Amino acid sequence: MSEGPHDLPEAAERRLTSGAFSSGLSVSDFSACLEMGLEPVGLVQGFCAMHQGAYAMGGALSRSLSPYGGSGGGYVQNYQCPHGMISTEHRAWGQNYEQTWVQDAWNQGFTSAYGRMLEEAATLGAHGVVGVIDSETPLGDVGVIEFHVRGTAVKVLDTPAPTSSPWSTYLAGQRLAKVFEAGYAPVSIVAAVSSVRVWAYCVTEYLMEGFSGSMWTNAINVSSSYEIEQIVTAQTWSRQRVRSSARAQLHGDALHGADLRLVEREFEKGDLEIEAVLRGNRIRRFKDFDPLPVPQPTVRLS
Amino acid sequence: MTTHDGAKDTIDAKAQVRRAVASLAEKTSNAESTTSDLSIDEELNLHSIGWEPVELVSGVSLFSTPAGLWNWGEGEIASASEAHAQAFKFAIQRIHKEAADAGGHGVVGVHVERRVYSTHIEVTLLGTAVRPVGAGRVESSDVFVSDLSARDFTMLMVAGWEPLGLATGASFVYAPRRTMGAALQQQGQNVELKNYTEAMYSSRESAMERMQRVALDLKGTGVVGVKVVEGPMSFATHAVGFAAWGTVVRLVKDAHHFVRPTMVVSLNDLGVAFDAQSLH
Repeated sequence: MSEGPHDLPEAAERRLTSGAFSSGLSVSDFSACLEMGLEPVGLVQGFCAMHQGAYAMGGALSRSLSPYGGSGGGYVQNYQCPHGMISTEHRAWGQNYEQTWVQDAWNQGFTSAYGRMLEEAATLGAHGVVGVIDSETPLGDVGVIEFHVRGTAVKVLDTPAPTSSPWSTYLAGQRLAKVFEAGYAPVSIVAAVSSVRVWAYCVTEYLMEGFSGSMWTNAINVSSSYEIEQIVTAQTWSRQRVRSSARAQLHGDALHGADLRLVEREFEKGDLEIEAVLRGNRIRRFKDFDPLPVPQPTVRLS
Repeated sequence: MTTHDGAKDTIDAKAQVRRAVASLAEKTSNAESTTSDLSIDEELNLHSIGWEPVELVSGVSLFSTPAGLWNWGEGEIASASEAHAQAFKFAIQRIHKEAADAGGHGVVGVHVERRVYSTHIEVTLLGTAVRPVGAGRVESSDVFVSDLSARDFTMLMVAGWEPLGLATGASFVYAPRRTMGAALQQQGQNVELKNYTEAMYSSRESAMERMQRVALDLKGTGVVGVKVVEGPMSFATHAVGFAAWGTVVRLVKDAHHFVRPTMVVSLNDLGVAFDAQSLH
């Protein structure tokens, strides 16, 4: 992830450069960090409240106005009614399209909050930020999302002052120690999003309502299966897109401990938004794996 | 940290960290990026038996079921059982393809997400494609899919077994309605509702038989880690369902290799922590 603008508030800068350190680490993680020679220097945070500029696109109004409407240059797939029927209650066309503006808003919000956190860490002279936590919270129902990224800035003892932007990781404590021991260095946290809007056409709508085997669904049926192809395609595309976005941030490194979540929101009947978010730790190998013995099972006597 | 014989371990954690952090100033790697949802412990487990993660992969399928299916009828609700089987089959085919395209030989730690609605059935599979270190590509049909964790996969391989695939079976059955006379007669009594009990047995037998049939088709000797979901359907008062899935395994060595566990007493257990209450 790239560093954001230099816009640290003056009060924050004063607080960070004086007084006692703060940290978001548990006692055991704190202890493990000291064992690794990582000295916590401050709890650092970044915020960004983003408004999604084209939030209304895809709503009920634009649906009636804009069949095969623009998608901002991203993925689009159209579905045409096979029944040859014209009726206000029959969805004669459908579309899956990438909501590029939603993805752009998310990326901008996350990157800004992340960059601001790194800026605080750099102000403290930190080499890295461990135990990162991020959250995205909708503010009311007006298309505003608050991005909050926080973590504990650390200095590596007995090393020169940092000359580049701090590294970051979602891990802390013993799990981070194992990453180092396994021969990996943390590079940065990685977060990516994909968003696809689904406007169901008649066949998808009937299948979702349980009308498989009816005159409406038999019209397109090529075998005895009634798979809901439009939704399957949207979900599959969404997961693949978010993975390729995360891969684009790796530059030959590995993504470790990935967490891929998919959320489906139904705004009204036949109008869905599918959003996939992928988070993980970008890590880089700095030495080969030490040869490991085959693991031995243990039974705890407790 | 000490080894079994009490010798002091020589790992210098601080030096490792300094070396790792210094390496970040070097150029980025030219290697192919990999993605995985494994923990570092799981990755180390895989490496100990010569395997490595390649890519996070998934497969999904949604199958529609006819309207009004769940409320009236007798025997098995065949359309629902068929939709369940098809949804799993298609999701497995897709995760196979994604894994093979990424160069994986198998997928471990697969999260099975399964949702049964009154109108359709949805199955999502998500896991990490793995392969023997540096191994070449295999055909999609040769990829195995397993819901065993990387840790369990390691233990299975160490014991001389191999996973062959995911086996599933499901059956949905109507619980026949009682006659008006029977319902009145049983009112206020403690009585077994045999229509429900028998429906559960019926769906259990069909589902388990189907899962075991898949295991035999994959030329496996058994299914491990079987998960079972059963009970009445939340959206239909007279329908019950039973679904089971697990990993099909086969012995590859001449005999099972017995892995003898080592007894350990953990020193970081909460049970041995100081308890101020004990002073009272």
